[in-house]
Amino acid sequence: MVVCAALVVGPNSSVFTPQELAGKLVALDYGNGTAYAGLLMLEGAMAREAITTCGATSHGGDRLAALRRGEFEATVLQEPWITAAEKAGCRIVSTTFFHGTWVADQSVSPEAYAAFLRAVTRAVRRINADKRKYVTYYLRDFPDYPELAGVTADDFDLNRVQLKEPGPIPEAEARWAWEWMSSWGLLEGAFDVGTQINRRVEREAHAHATVSAG
Amino acid sequence: MQLTIERVLAFNGLDVLVARDEGLFEAEGLDLRIVAPAPDEMRSAADGTLTRPVTNQGLLVDRGEAGMFQG
Repeated sequence: MVVCAALVVGPNSSVFTPQELAGKLVALDYGNGTAYAGLLMLEGAMAREAITTCGATSHGGDRLAALRRGEFEATVLQEPWITAAEKAGCRIVSTTFFHGTWVADQSVSPEAYAAFLRAVTRAVRRINADKRKYVTYYLRDFPDYPELAGVTADDFDLNRVQLKEPGPIPEAEARWAWEWMSSWGLLEGAFDVGTQINRRVEREAHAHATVSAG
Repeated sequence: MQLTIERVLAFNGLDVLVARDEGLFEAEGLDLRIVAPAPDEMRSAADGTLTRPVTNQGLLVDRGEAGMFQG
């Protein structure tokens, strides 16, 4: 799964570009991929010393509600909250995408993981064939949530819904992510691919996970 | 075969939710179970800091109640 994350400001904000968030408070749900995507977007626009963040709930709807109350200048949202924010007049100042990664313990067999991957691969193909049909899932996750009132499947920008068939983790990407997180003090020690990725299980699972077209 | 994973939402697991609802795991002979911590166990990310985050990801894997989580 590829996750879309957007840096969003309120309807009356004077901020139009990520650079203009230098020294302004940005709420992040620390510990989650969305927060790290937010840091990356900010880091691309200003010196680290100018990045000013606060911790926020991992519930995107609650972050959006707090943004609209003016509790901070910006936050990072994922769907369906990006769509809800736009519908509420909020403004996107930056967007990025990142991979969701499955983390498994030693109990997961290559056979079970391969079956999981085959099923997910078929689902990815079905979704990509008709994204509009499946965006209703984003709404189903949060029934009766006030920030989603009036949001319909037709409101979603399908370019933000990106799915990719699962594959092995490229070592260079894993190393880069580790080193970037270390540079923020989030991880300690040097990257060791043999410790982080069980290549035997990964290789066997993906070898058994080939799904024919159609 | 059985596999238990931690809960996903559409934004990070739309493919898994569709595969479950359309019987694709079952067709592969996989009994996929999706579990979540009890509501009173859920910790808020707002209580963490950048370098000492508070997250629910991996909580059930750490306890041996799930085999995978989406990070």
